Amino acid sequence: MTATPVTQVPTRPARARRVPLAAAGRLLRLELRRNVMLWMLPIVAALFWLITYRPAMAYPPLWNVRAMTMQTTALAIFVPTVVGVAAWLASREARHGMTDLLSGTSRPRWARQLATWAATTCWALVAYLGCVAVLYAVTARQGAWGGPLWWPAAVGAASLPAFSALGFAAGALRPSRFTTPLVAVAAFLALELTAQFIHGDHSPWQVSPLVAGPWENGADPGVATFYPYLPDLPIVQLIFLTGLTTALLGVLGLPAGSGGRRLRRSAAALTTAGLLAAITATTLAGTGRLDPRGMIAIPALHNPADNRPVPYTPVCSDTPIPICVHPAYSVHLPTVTAALEPVLSELAGLPDAPVRINQTAATYRQESGNGVSISRAGPAMSDTPPTLHILLPIQLARPVATDVLTAELWTNTARDILYNVIGGDRREKTEAQQAVAEAILKTSTLPPGTRTAAAAQRFAALSPAARHAWLTSHVAALRAGQITLAELP
Amino acid sequence: MTAAAAGKPPAGSAHAGLRLAWLHLTSRRVPAALAAIAVCAVALRIALHWQWNAYGALQLPLIFEAGCAAVIAATTASPFGEPERATGRWLPLLRLGTALTLTAAAAGALVAAGTGAHLAGGALDVLRNLAGLVGIGLLCAALLGGALTWTAPTAYLMIAIYALYTQWHGPALTTPWIWPARPPHDIGAALCAGLVFITGMAANALCGARDATNERPGSR
Repeated sequence: MTATPVTQVPTRPARARRVPLAAAGRLLRLELRRNVMLWMLPIVAALFWLITYRPAMAYPPLWNVRAMTMQTTALAIFVPTVVGVAAWLASREARHGMTDLLSGTSRPRWARQLATWAATTCWALVAYLGCVAVLYAVTARQGAWGGPLWWPAAVGAASLPAFSALGFAAGALRPSRFTTPLVAVAAFLALELTAQFIHGDHSPWQVSPLVAGPWENGADPGVATFYPYLPDLPIVQLIFLTGLTTALLGVLGLPAGSGGRRLRRSAAALTTAGLLAAITATTLAGTGRLDPRGMIAIPALHNPADNRPVPYTPVCSDTPIPICVHPAYSVHLPTVTAALEPVLSELAGLPDAPVRINQTAATYRQESGNGVSISRAGPAMSDTPPTLHILLPIQLARPVATDVLTAELWTNTARDILYNVIGGDRREKTEAQQAVAEAILKTSTLPPGTRTAAAAQRFAALSPAARHAWLTSHVAALRAGQITLAELP
Repeated sequence: MTAAAAGKPPAGSAHAGLRLAWLHLTSRRVPAALAAIAVCAVALRIALHWQWNAYGALQLPLIFEAGCAAVIAATTASPFGEPERATGRWLPLLRLGTALTLTAAAAGALVAAGTGAHLAGGALDVLRNLAGLVGIGLLCAALLGGALTWTAPTAYLMIAIYALYTQWHGPALTTPWIWPARPPHDIGAALCAGLVFITGMAANALCGARDATNERPGSR
């Protein structure tokens, strides 16, 4: 046995500190090059086009509708794919029978796993952000009013690391050829289940990243236009997703063999912190309430500044009585004008007729279950100058096609405008008022053969000038209910 | 499993045939697949206890059918690869038998899970959707390899769920190639699903799952 002279190895602290990071970078680069998610990108892009992009383009260019729909549908596409890929990659070491061999490497298993997870997440994020960028760019080019809504995109992006971690944890802890398909389908089922459990605005299940607004309200063109997009629920969802990601990544470091004792303690601390964050977020989501402006508000996070309306310059039509709409809805103005112009021509110049019709904001109220009632905010008429405030049918939580919009404008909005001028404040309309409305709207809702229907036909047969002249002199009495059917010309 | 066992059982030896079949089934993890199918059926049964809206009730069985189909497709991955292809004379029959048995088991389990509960679409819907999804999974195995068999049934599941959604929020997707969105008695949808199933079975029997070139297929 000889004594080996001890030689002092020169140390280079600066370089020594850089080496682990450089090695981690190389590992990540390798994982990025060999990641299965890369091969899934065409599938994901095709599904995004079919399920998200194509239907979104069928909606009018409204940021709220397109962004909120995208949050839900894009997640349904990305989640099973990302979970499946992550589970598949997590079981790679076991599949190759290399678990024992790799346990002798200088890097702890947790570090290797994190590199694979990070690479999967990176590709998923690249795909997601690319899809979002295309959708938003096209929407912007179509002239959508206001700016893009980033919160729905942020929630979607934050979901990917979380679901990637979920798949990765499942694949790493239970490596099997059946883990990947089962966990991918189970993740999809879990997403759908969370949506099923939402009952009302106080449901903690709203923490699900699928939820962009009051559940079952669908793509609602009425929210986030007159008032800002409330970030309360997205913030809670982001906290939840961050917590979930942290907890799941921590779980990966818990098993024996993941690393040294210190590393496993750190993993346990991460898991605990992540779980606490997720529980806190879920609890906060349970305190939500439907804001009168149509979004979910969380009292602990709510900023009163978000209650202030967004200033805008209305876009008005060139009709006898101008119709002014919010610029976000200006794409509908030609349809609205074409549908209402015949009625407005009859009413223009009548005593106490409005000189302008304004589109107004809707007010929302939670009903039992997931029901939401939507009505006009504020009174129908305001004075100086007499202005009528209306809700467009598209503000009733359902985007409608142009032909349906025209029909609804004629049957509902035009009738409301007409009754505001000739009907007065009474709920029950007199027979004369019904006959005049029927004649002007050229509808046939009255029972045929009745005196009212006959009077309506008689009044409709008059020339527009004669009708207008009669209305000018008798509208006050008609509104007061003092005109009988016999007195109609 | 030896090459001799995989190749040709001694004539008239039922015991050897059974042993060959058993070895083939265990090499494809069929017992684990049956357990996974049973888990899907039990989960469906539990889920059917809840009250679902019309859309949820339609998509619920479909999700479990897709899960079963993906599991069945995952059994196609061979742990032996080329040597088995070269020596396995009975391989096409074994592959066909395995896929048919698992499909029948999955259909039986899912229908049994829905017995006495409100299973949207009924047994006919389960049979059609499952057969079509299994066909898609087997075709995917032949094209992409056993490792990625789950991708096609999962992607088809998303398309089918979206097609169901369009029945409420049009324009509805009504092509029979998206058969889960068609009524159970729709002949065109049944034909499409049947065609995909037969093609998938044929591809699986004749070719099996494509061997991965850069890694050993999943043997666990």
